Amino acid sequence: MTTQEITKVQELIYTTRVETVMATNVVVVDPSMTMGEVKRLMQEKRISGAPVMRGDTMVGIVSMTDVLDVTEQGLLGDPVTRHMTREVKTILKDSSVLEAVSNLDRQGFARLPVVDQNGRLVGIVTTGTMIRALLREMDISFQKKEAEKLQSYRARHIFQDIVSDDTSVILRFVVAEKDFDNAGKAASAIKKSLQRLGVIPSIVRRVAVAVYEAEMNLVIHTDVGGVITVDVRSRRIKINAVDHGPGIEDVVKVLQPGYSTAPEWIRDMGFGAGMGLANIKRCADVMKLLSGPGSGTRLDIEFLLDNDGSGGRMDASKKT
Amino acid sequence: MTLEDVVEALNLDVRAGASELDREVEGGYVSDLLSDVIAGAREGDLWVTLQLHQNIVAVAFLNNLAGIVIVGGREPDPDTLEKAEDQGVPIMVTAMPTYELAGKLYEMGIRRRADA
Amino acid sequence: MTIREVIEVLSGQILVDNHELDNDVPMGGAADLMSDVLAFGTEGMVLMTGLTNPQTVRTAEMAGIEVVVFVRDKTPPPETIALARDLGITLIRTGYTMYEACGRLYNAGLPGRGLVKIENNSW
Repeated sequence: MTTQEITKVQELIYTTRVETVMATNVVVVDPSMTMGEVKRLMQEKRISGAPVMRGDTMVGIVSMTDVLDVTEQGLLGDPVTRHMTREVKTILKDSSVLEAVSNLDRQGFARLPVVDQNGRLVGIVTTGTMIRALLREMDISFQKKEAEKLQSYRARHIFQDIVSDDTSVILRFVVAEKDFDNAGKAASAIKKSLQRLGVIPSIVRRVAVAVYEAEMNLVIHTDVGGVITVDVRSRRIKINAVDHGPGIEDVVKVLQPGYSTAPEWIRDMGFGAGMGLANIKRCADVMKLLSGPGSGTRLDIEFLLDNDGSGGRMDASKKT
Repeated sequence: MTLEDVVEALNLDVRAGASELDREVEGGYVSDLLSDVIAGAREGDLWVTLQLHQNIVAVAFLNNLAGIVIVGGREPDPDTLEKAEDQGVPIMVTAMPTYELAGKLYEMGIRRRADA
Repeated sequence: MTIREVIEVLSGQILVDNHELDNDVPMGGAADLMSDVLAFGTEGMVLMTGLTNPQTVRTAEMAGIEVVVFVRDKTPPPETIALARDLGITLIRTGYTMYEACGRLYNAGLPGRGLVKIENNSW
């Protein structure tokens, strides 16, 4: 972290008010609840503590530690009022984050209810809410993108760094038949790899959609699975999906949108509506389908990386 | 509101069942899964879907739906239309996507009290 | 519209939380057929669907969709939840039907993606 960023953090801690770093949708507990009910509420809302409110008045605060203690003792049926902390340390919404940090830190509180001038509960602040808010302020997402860029730098430069007459990166994926749980993994990996390689997002998306449809076809329609091969070069991506499955009876018909041979269970999963090949065709620059009954199926698709008028599509592929 | 009012207001194209447009539209239902429509749609619902398959006609007929609107600019198969004409199930088409058509129908006041 | 407002309008519940609730979502869409989502889905769209299998999340990933709403109080299986966590996709559940959910969001000002001709007659 650079000196400049540290200053930025310090500045934010001094100048940001608690109001802007607190969570406003506070989950509260009613005094009539049992510890068991509190436990369920915490699990359901994924929180680690909550103020106990009688109407508008805060009568205590209960934490996951309290819940764990009574769970051990087998006292989950006890009312929350028996185990909550009664003396609640609160913080004004206009206080600085610095004050919140020192209260949380030194006094060992995991969370501070935030109140307004009239003592009314308006939010809750934890180290988590503060860190998230501060990171947001620092536009951490921007930095994350920068880091990602750096990571993909090497991959992107493969077409420059490796000298040959025609460099190509080949990715191969084996797709299992009828394996719905893993279907889409190849498409997902291909999408990530192409991002790494610096292919522009609009083309990555088209490839991802086409490969995913092709992968689903292997999963749904073959009884032996198949192989997807991606061949990435600096100016084009060639993909083929090959299987030795039952083949296609009528290659013309199968290309008609809406035509489908998928069984009902596939349709109930939202697939097999007969749009897959149409989607592939729409996404790809070139598509070829070869098949016959009993002889398997081969689908070839191709994406051109520099034919859409916006220059070379592999960021680092331009020759000087 | 009748089907005819809906057709006019949203500029839907009627492809089948034109003689049945005086039906009352009592609610809307959106789904592309036939089993889901059978389970969830109620009599008098106007069904919004992307499905073109001729089974949609049987589902609409058996559940006494007000009609079917096929979205996204798709055209149903001739088989589907023939069956719809036969069974008196109105089929309309529109270029609007599902989300917007449902939004517009809802905005027109097609909603069931219990749903609101 | 922010994700927070989407949740409010749908009286929804967050199942997997991968985004700041103040993030904006530009538009809405609805479908149960995954090929259709792949065809018309656009980056950033909130997708409403009745399907809860893991492929719904995969499809969202491929289409660049980051927020998925399950309608009719459908609870997704654990694999769907796990995959969404992995892939950075936010999942929301609502008790409304798909029709109601679309109606409410559209009425609350979340636009759709406009007229589309899903090109199915191009061959």
